Amino acid sequence: MSEQRALALLGRKKDVLLFTPFVKAWHYRELIRAILWRELSQRFRDSYFSWGWAIAAPLVMLGAYTVVFTSTLKIGDSASSGVVQFSLVMFVGLLIFNLAAELVYRAPTLLHEHVHYIKKSIFPSETLVWIALLRALVYAGISFAVFLVYKLALTGSIPLTTLLLPFLIVPFCLMILGISWFLAALGAFTRDVSHLMITIVPVLMFATPVFYTTADLSPTARLIAYINPTTSYIEMARQLLLVGALPDPMVYLATFAVSLCLFYGGYLFFDRYRSVVVDVI
Amino acid sequence: MSSDWVVRCAGVGKAFQIYKNYNDRMRQVMFGRVKKYYKEFWVLRDIDLELVKGECLGIIGRNGAGKTTLLQLICGITLPTHGTVETRGSIAPVLALGAGFDAELTGRENVLIGGAILGMRRQFIIDRLDSIADFAGIGEFLDRPVKFYSSGMYSRLAFAICAHAEADILIIDEVLAVGDEGFQTKCLKFIEDFRRRGTVLFVSHGLPQGLCSRAIWIDGGYIRAAGDPQSVVDQYHEALINEKDDAERFHIGN
Repeated sequence: MSEQRALALLGRKKDVLLFTPFVKAWHYRELIRAILWRELSQRFRDSYFSWGWAIAAPLVMLGAYTVVFTSTLKIGDSASSGVVQFSLVMFVGLLIFNLAAELVYRAPTLLHEHVHYIKKSIFPSETLVWIALLRALVYAGISFAVFLVYKLALTGSIPLTTLLLPFLIVPFCLMILGISWFLAALGAFTRDVSHLMITIVPVLMFATPVFYTTADLSPTARLIAYINPTTSYIEMARQLLLVGALPDPMVYLATFAVSLCLFYGGYLFFDRYRSVVVDVI
Repeated sequence: MSSDWVVRCAGVGKAFQIYKNYNDRMRQVMFGRVKKYYKEFWVLRDIDLELVKGECLGIIGRNGAGKTTLLQLICGITLPTHGTVETRGSIAPVLALGAGFDAELTGRENVLIGGAILGMRRQFIIDRLDSIADFAGIGEFLDRPVKFYSSGMYSRLAFAICAHAEADILIIDEVLAVGDEGFQTKCLKFIEDFRRRGTVLFVSHGLPQGLCSRAIWIDGGYIRAAGDPQSVVDQYHEALINEKDDAERFHIGN
């Protein structure tokens, strides 16, 4: 009885149904909007170039990586197809990878950072992950706009299949939401999760085909690379944005299914521990 | 017992899990079903409480007696270890003033965030901005970043937001001490007015005369005295003089 009441207060039905995560996110949309707005507006406040920094960051990164990887290192066949092509391949890889990396970095400390909200008000803690995702999407959106301009300037065309990108981004976001919920709940119990992520994400950057494509890999290495679901997202995004072709439907469906599993798995984990988490942070 | 209760606690107990070190927490999560890695610290035990609409309950007690935890349980922020807590109607918790404030943003911008955390819709807050500004009475500072506020101005603005929440139950935790007397009077007047439409729970070290209809004294997690505010406060003050202020009451274990 008490549990039901508390759960009702936390804005949660007793059972997690298929649409529960979305229904709740919609229910708290005004709260999400207010906090997201707060985080975005304070980011570049009191700086002269303000949002210019959000545009400069991906450009500088791209420039640095292109110079380093094409002039000093020769990686695989993709590099031989020209500097321009290589920088575009890498740009797409970085876009997708950075979106996931930002959330994975932040998720373990997310609940600690907002302990005031959680302990001093009736606050739906799961919305913090939605807010973190939306924030990362805003920056990714800026990078994406830079990418489109860059691509147009260099190659003179943008393939029509770019319009299909939302079909990739939506399952991708669901996947990183699930992973972030899992990491956020786990990170509330121990700070090691945060340190672990800071340690392994840079390694993952090289294990994911950001600076190369899976075509460069040996067949065995390729299979291993595809264990990481981000790999297939990056490859599919390159198909849509650079080649102008549709990805293999089987790969798409399999990735979608894995993403949904991660989404609901992460949500259920978070849901199970949400009432315990209040007492340990 | 009446059936028109608004808040009801029956046999409520709350134990916090105290871990020797941080990693025991992790072990508890992984192997919790097999072994217990924590000691229990009982913050509250055997709390029975029933409030009807229009009541104002004053809660007094020493530091660490469990007052805030009781409020958190009633809000549903944390779950009781034993017993049941039930509430009817929406709750406006004022457990900390300006908990969601961002120092870099202006007062006006913070009102929108603070209101959203209290569950108010954006349009609802915008419609009441003038009234909130009027209640806070901080003049042109409303458009200055909150980091330039004095602590009194800070709590004025924060309480002004809470005062505009449409709730049935108002829960206030020792937050009025910072404001000056003029503002305190304004807040007490607000609480009195609020009682006409809702119920108030109020934690304070000194209960203002005539504000509360009932009081409880929490000591070491138990309700030690309850009833008429004046007599509860008298007993409490008497105990403060006679009993020593030692560390014994923070004992962890059984």
